[in-house]
Formats: sequence, C-alpha cells, structure tokens
Amino acid sequence: MRIIELRGVKKSIGQEQILKGIDLEIYSGEFVAIIGASGSGKSSMLYIMGLLDRPTEGEVLFEGQVVDFSDEKKLSEIRNKKIGFVFQFHYLLPEFTLLENVMLPAIKMGMERKQAEERAYELLRALGLGGKERRRIFQISGGEMQRVAIARALMNKPSVILADEPTGNLDSKNTQAVMEIFKEVNSQGTTIVMVTHELELAEQAHRIIDVRDGVILS
Amino acid sequence: MTHVLFVAFKLLLQRKRQTFVSVLGVSIGVSAFIVMSSLMLGFQNYFIQQVIDLEPHIKIKPREESQQVEANAVLLGEKPKEKDRILGWQDIVREVEKHPEVLGVAPRLVSRGILKYGVKDKPVTLLGIDPQREPKASIIEKFLVHKNLHRLETNRTGVIIGVLVAKSLGIKELGKKLLLVAPNGQTLLVTVEDFFESGITNIDDTRVYINIKTLQSLLDKQGEVNEIVLKIKDVNRAERISRELQESIPYEVESWQRAYKNFLSIFKIQNIITYMIVFAILTVSAFGIFNIIMMTVLEKKRDIAILMAMGFLRRDILLIFMVEGFVIGILGAIIGSLLGFGLQEYLESIRLDVEGLVRTKGFVLDRSPIFYVYALVFSLFFSLLASLYPSYRASRLNPVDIFRSQ
Repeated sequence: MRIIELRGVKKSIGQEQILKGIDLEIYSGEFVAIIGASGSGKSSMLYIMGLLDRPTEGEVLFEGQVVDFSDEKKLSEIRNKKIGFVFQFHYLLPEFTLLENVMLPAIKMGMERKQAEERAYELLRALGLGGKERRRIFQISGGEMQRVAIARALMNKPSVILADEPTGNLDSKNTQAVMEIFKEVNSQGTTIVMVTHELELAEQAHRIIDVRDGVILS
Repeated sequence: MTHVLFVAFKLLLQRKRQTFVSVLGVSIGVSAFIVMSSLMLGFQNYFIQQVIDLEPHIKIKPREESQQVEANAVLLGEKPKEKDRILGWQDIVREVEKHPEVLGVAPRLVSRGILKYGVKDKPVTLLGIDPQREPKASIIEKFLVHKNLHRLETNRTGVIIGVLVAKSLGIKELGKKLLLVAPNGQTLLVTVEDFFESGITNIDDTRVYINIKTLQSLLDKQGEVNEIVLKIKDVNRAERISRELQESIPYEVESWQRAYKNFLSIFKIQNIITYMIVFAILTVSAFGIFNIIMMTVLEKKRDIAILMAMGFLRRDILLIFMVEGFVIGILGAIIGSLLGFGLQEYLESIRLDVEGLVRTKGFVLDRSPIFYVYALVFSLFFSLLASLYPSYRASRLNPVDIFRSQ
C-alpha cells in the first residue's frame, strides 16, 4: 500500500526552483533514506510529504487520497494522527518535562491525560529514559533529547515517521542508537522516511533515494 | 481546547517572572482605577448629597439684572432701584405648594452682614428663615450640632452660625452674644443658639441663620422676602420641575443643578482627568502585556513550529497566546481588586481632617461594587487587546520557514 505519493511535485521559493518535478511513492512499512547534498531539495521534499508545505505544482497523495492543501483542519489532523516528525534539532519545549513533551501530540489528539501519561511513560522507558520523565530538557544529554523527540513522534502511533537529519547533531554512539530505534520502530510496521547526507546511515535503510538539484536521480 | 489550555498554562506558570510583571502591571491599573474612582466619586457624591440636603432643591429668586445706575442718580443721592425682593410671594408659595412633586416650600430673606465678637469680625451671609417652615424645604436640622432650630422661634435674637464662622470668631459655646451689623448700618445684639456643620467649607464659613422676622425688621424690610425655597420628591427632576414652574412665575426659578453648575462642571472635568490617568496606567500595563507576549512569541518561534508540525491549528496557536492575555487580565483584575479593596479599607480607617471644598474626618469613599465590575471589564479588554496582535503574529508563522532557518 502506498502511504505517500508525490506526482510531478515542483516547489519554488521566489525565483528559485527547489524541486523540479518529483514523482515518488513511499510504501507502507518501508524504511526509506533520502540522500543528497545540502540544498539539493531533500528537506523540502520531506516538508511536502509531511504536509507542512504545499507544492507549487503537482499532487500529493496520503494513503491514496489526494491532499487538499487548503484544508488546514484536515492537514493538521493527518499530521497529528498519521505523521511523526523528528528533526535535526530536537524542538522540545523547555517549559515542559520530558513526559509532558511526549504527551503533547496525544493531548492535541484528545486523549485522556491519564492515558496519555501512561503511553508517554511506556515510550520513554522503551527508549531508555525511564526515571527521567520529570526532568526538563536542560537536565539531559543531546542524545537523550533526540530520543525524547522520537518518543514524541511515536506518541500517536503514526503510520509514518519523517526524520530530517535526525542524527545531524549527535556523536557516533548516539547516532547508531537512534538508527537502532528507527529500525526497531520500522520492524513493528511504522514507515520511516529519513533525510540524511550520510551515505553510511542511508545504507541501513531499505531503499535510498538520491536527490540532486531538485530531481531524483535514483 | 484542552491542548490549548495545557500549553498556555504551562507557558504562564513556567515563565513566572514575566507573568508576574504583566499581572502586576494590570493589578496596579485596576487598583488605581478602583481607589481613584471611589475617592473621587465618594467626595463628589458626598458634596452633592450635602448640597441636596442642606440647600433648596429649587430656589425662586429675583432675576439677576445688571443695575444700570444713572450717573446723576448717585450725584443726587438717589438709591438705585431695588430689584431684590419677591412681590406677592405669599401667592407664589400657595401656587407652588399645589405642585404634586413639591414636598415643602419656605420663604427666606437673604442678606450680607458682619458679625462682631470682641475685636474679631466676620463677614457673613444672613439667612432669614421661618423656623417652622424651613425644615419642610431643607434638612437643616440634620446639620445642627445641638438640634436647636426651635430656639430661633422662641428667641427672636437667636442665631445659628456655621462652625467655621464660630471658629473664626473664637466662639466655642452656645449663649455667646455677638453684634450683628446689617448692610444698612443697623446693629443687633444676637445670641448663639446653635452651630451647624454641613461639611462644605464655603457654607460653614459664611452662613448664619436668623429668624426671618428679626432680619426683616433689622433691614427695614417688613414682610419682604427675596428667596422662596422648595423641596421636591425626586432631586434628579429638579431641573425639569424648575422649568415647569418658570412658565408661571415671573422670577428666576433655579434648580440645585443650575445653582451648582460650576461645581458639577468641575466634577466632570475632574472625572475626565482621573479616567485619563487611569486609562494611561492601563495602557502602559497593556503595552507591558503586549511586549511580554510579543517577546514570548519571538522567543518561541521554534516551539510554535513544532506545535504546528504535531497538528496544532493556527487557531490553536492564536488561542494559546490569547489565553495568556486573558489569564493575565483575570489575575490582574483579581489581585488589583483585592489591592484596591485593601487600599479602600486603609483609606477609610485613616482619621484626619480633610479640608478643601468639603471638610471631613477622613476620606469619603464610594464603595460601589460597580467599580470592581468596570475594573474587570477594563482589565480584560486591555489584556485581550494587548495580546491580540502578538497572538495573531504567532498564528501566522510558517513552520517550514522556521525549520529551514535552523
């Protein structure tokens, strides 16, 4: 089953064309790595796949349905329930505890607070952060922050995780730990699309998509 | 909405210092509004109440015309034509008494005079009153220290003097003999039968009540009056009734509002100035809220972007910051009201001689609960207004631009 499909997607910012007609299909349960040099358009592609950005031209299909980018409510609902994001920077809210950060997507979804807490505890424990749930982000390491961000992305049991350079700020040990988590999550059926510029990491995925100057090479 | 409140309260509670500063700003504005309004209106209402009680609600008096005296009239030793009496006043009294709104009518003879006591003398306003009729037209007895109005009936040379007149002359006890000098040079030895204290400096410092018949004979104006005073049922209708009466009376009919229009105008100006000050305070606190929320929005761009990525709508983002403004407004109103209440209590407990347009022992406050309602409405309005633009800016942020900029 195709979970995400891009048909002739073009994206321009000002006069510059970032994506020059992308056709891409992501299948359910895949672990896909998108590689390319800086400025190749790989992140832009990920933002469009995550329904955060709209293409200038072309169509995006999510779970077989053409996405209407003018329907903000629908887009938000898909992002909340079906997509989990992990970025190079963790984007954890400093005012919140680790537990609360992880709970946020579920609270937005309308899950009961107690239920959300239980699920967040469970995820944090599974990612090796048990006992640190009430800490704030300045009380944990960079690797731990990224694991919290992954827990948050997994909170609503999304169909797909979109990761934009998720290991970009991590040392090799934490990089591999994150990759192991992704593999584990993927093995449980969650689709992973990861943008990276490191071929070594990309090789751990099922499929590699090479983007250069806004077009897919392979 | 739970997710909006969850984030909004977390931001408020974790950014204690900024929240505290915003709430403090609103609280100061609210308490200033409550205290200034209650002080100002308390004083004004007190003044108006004293005026309504002591002074006639409506007064009939000769028209104030500029006396044109021919130059040779003075040279020939002629007196200018007198226009300071009401002819046929008994008929006017009878007529006015028939009006359904009128509660009481009393004639008066008013003149200037000088009171002498020992080496001291004091220019005064002499009010010749009928001790039996006067209480029907004013609540004079309420202001008498010894409630001796009837003494003006039994002692024709008795006088009731204002407490500040007594103070100027150095009189502290009843029964003191004073020399009253009339404008025509006639003198009369009078006895102090009572003091009156209205609290209005201007009245207490000049007024002397005397039996109308005594004053008539002293001024050689037997049977004459130059004022007819009326008490009516509804003081707020004085102006309307005075206009009705004016149609059938050939003298000037003046309501208390018109008689005190200068004071009422001053009060209006005073109110405008006070509310402008309060408005300025609330505006400053609104700018404080604006700055703090705007700063929060700018600081939290990345957090806003990730909230949007995880499914928060633009409307949710708007509401998060509007809720912050709303909570700051509510907290500011509550704390400001408590502070205002405390200040009111404190000001009321102070016992000091306040001397100005009115004299009181301590501050006169209007403790109307409506000020608290207004304070709540104003603080909410200003807080929401201040948070509107930053909230809107936050809701219009593009998460992709923020992710790209990292």
